[in-house]
Amino acid sequence: MKPLIEFVRVGFSYGDKNVLRDLDASVFENQCIAVVGPNGAGKTTLLRLAAGTLAPACGEVYLKCRDLRILKQREIARSVAFVPQNVEVPFSFTVEQFVEQGRTPFLKLFGGLCAADYEAMRRAMELTDTWSRRSRVFNELSGGERQRVKIALGLAQQPQMLLLDEPMQHLDIGRQFEMIDLIHLLRREGIAIVASMHDLALIGGTFSSVWLMSPDVPMRQGSPEEILRPDVLEIAFNTLPHHRSRLLERMRNPMEYA
Amino acid sequence: MEVIQTITAHRWTGERQQHWLLALLAASLVLAMLIAAGMGAVHVPLWLLVHSMIGGESLSADQRIILFTIRLPRIFASLLVGGALSVSGLLFQGLFRNPLADPYVIGSSGGAVLGASIGVFLLPPISVAGFGTTALLAFVGALGSITLVYWLARADGRTPVVALLLAGFAVSTMLSYSSYFLEVMDHDFGTGMRVLASWLHGTIAQPTWPQLAIVTFMLVIGLAGSVPLARNLNTLALGEEYATHLGLSVQRTRIAVIVIGSILTAAAVALGGLISFVGLIVPHMLRMVLGPDHVRLLPATALAGALFLLVADTVARTAIAPAELPVGVLTALIGGPFFLYLLRKTKQGVMS
Repeated sequence: MKPLIEFVRVGFSYGDKNVLRDLDASVFENQCIAVVGPNGAGKTTLLRLAAGTLAPACGEVYLKCRDLRILKQREIARSVAFVPQNVEVPFSFTVEQFVEQGRTPFLKLFGGLCAADYEAMRRAMELTDTWSRRSRVFNELSGGERQRVKIALGLAQQPQMLLLDEPMQHLDIGRQFEMIDLIHLLRREGIAIVASMHDLALIGGTFSSVWLMSPDVPMRQGSPEEILRPDVLEIAFNTLPHHRSRLLERMRNPMEYA
Repeated sequence: MEVIQTITAHRWTGERQQHWLLALLAASLVLAMLIAAGMGAVHVPLWLLVHSMIGGESLSADQRIILFTIRLPRIFASLLVGGALSVSGLLFQGLFRNPLADPYVIGSSGGAVLGASIGVFLLPPISVAGFGTTALLAFVGALGSITLVYWLARADGRTPVVALLLAGFAVSTMLSYSSYFLEVMDHDFGTGMRVLASWLHGTIAQPTWPQLAIVTFMLVIGLAGSVPLARNLNTLALGEEYATHLGLSVQRTRIAVIVIGSILTAAAVALGGLISFVGLIVPHMLRMVLGPDHVRLLPATALAGALFLLVADTVARTAIAPAELPVGVLTALIGGPFFLYLLRKTKQGVMS
């Protein structure tokens, strides 16, 4: 099977600060990957490289076996949708106008939206349960709603893969569970997902594999059971030995209590 | 069948509203033109104008001369200037992602005045070639100053409000007042001086028909260029990184907005000089009715800007007759408080 995205010996640095070195990894259809690691390990950088908004300093990133560097960003955006952590909109766009921007990679210079565009937007809003909010102003929504609308924008791109940058950030626990449900739903829709995650407890049962990134160490890949172990995490996150019980507490899936 | 249903279900609620607003603006514009044509030292009643237009009773020779050589050119000039200023304001607001941007505030008008002044001192502005040169130099001036302000005010892909306002203020003041240096070159204290003085006050001078043709041409180019940009500005509102990811060429969009916005600023300045805040008030008012979608705002902004300045200029030339108020004084009086109100709102973090 061809991978959707393939990183081949990818390296990246901001100035003289090395973030990624010799990264080899692939994302296949139907995979749902959680990218974890301490701050500054390069989680967002990895997502940006996959989205084509950053170019690797060395190595190659392939989208369905084609080098991202030779693809137009419009083409990339029709297969890969990047959902950023923070979006600041200076004007009071409605949800619908916001989601409409997801059709940008399909529009011609002078063309307007056609039926297929509206259909994609509607589908995206229905999947994310934001259809009823379509006339509301984006900036006035709650954090959880905004997060779903951002994902709706990504889905309006009709991608095969969604890149979610910290999708659970700033969400209360109820909204986090809703987001987990949404990720399950999107998996059933056949969309591959790569999400950077801070909260380790939310990974088990939802994500099929985990990429553990830590500075200056090669990335580790495995199933949640293989990676989410205290001995592995202690090293990656550089936690102190007497914090082990807290670490264990953090890793327990709150879904288990349900 | 199902597809058709989806489309109608999907049409924005504001679509019908937009069409009504456009029709209303167009009708008001025609009415305002007729009224403005009748107002002035020699009163031409509205019924007489309408009657003569539909081929009835004709106007007297004096009335004809007044209409065709004085009033109508002036009316068309204010329409062009108002439309150009408002649309360039809309474009710059989209570019800077900031509702406080306006060709006057960000200094592109100031640059255009300097450019235009150089043109006036080089060639007499009355000749077609002279006015063409003036307009061209106004464009160069606008382009130069906005590029400078943009470069000065930007930090990490963002344009903070305070930096934008300060850079715009400084560049605008520097450039528009350096036009005074040109006085030295003007040995006979003739046309150049007078034109310059009226530019700095923001007066819509008495244009000739060829001058109007040149500015109309610039406005048409500017508007045609704005059409594909409007959608891009919606995407750019999400921020540069997001827009880039979605396949928008941010760099190309930015350059296009600066060039088109400068053409429009130059068109306005060539006829009216430094007229402040129009590009700020008009798009903002319309945003309150139509929402922030640039595609929807563009045609309404052009029409409403033309209407706004026609009304303002008619008031300016008749309110204290026989003297005339520069229309720039009037827009500054209305626009200043408006600008401060917007600044206050921005400070509360609503739109920064």
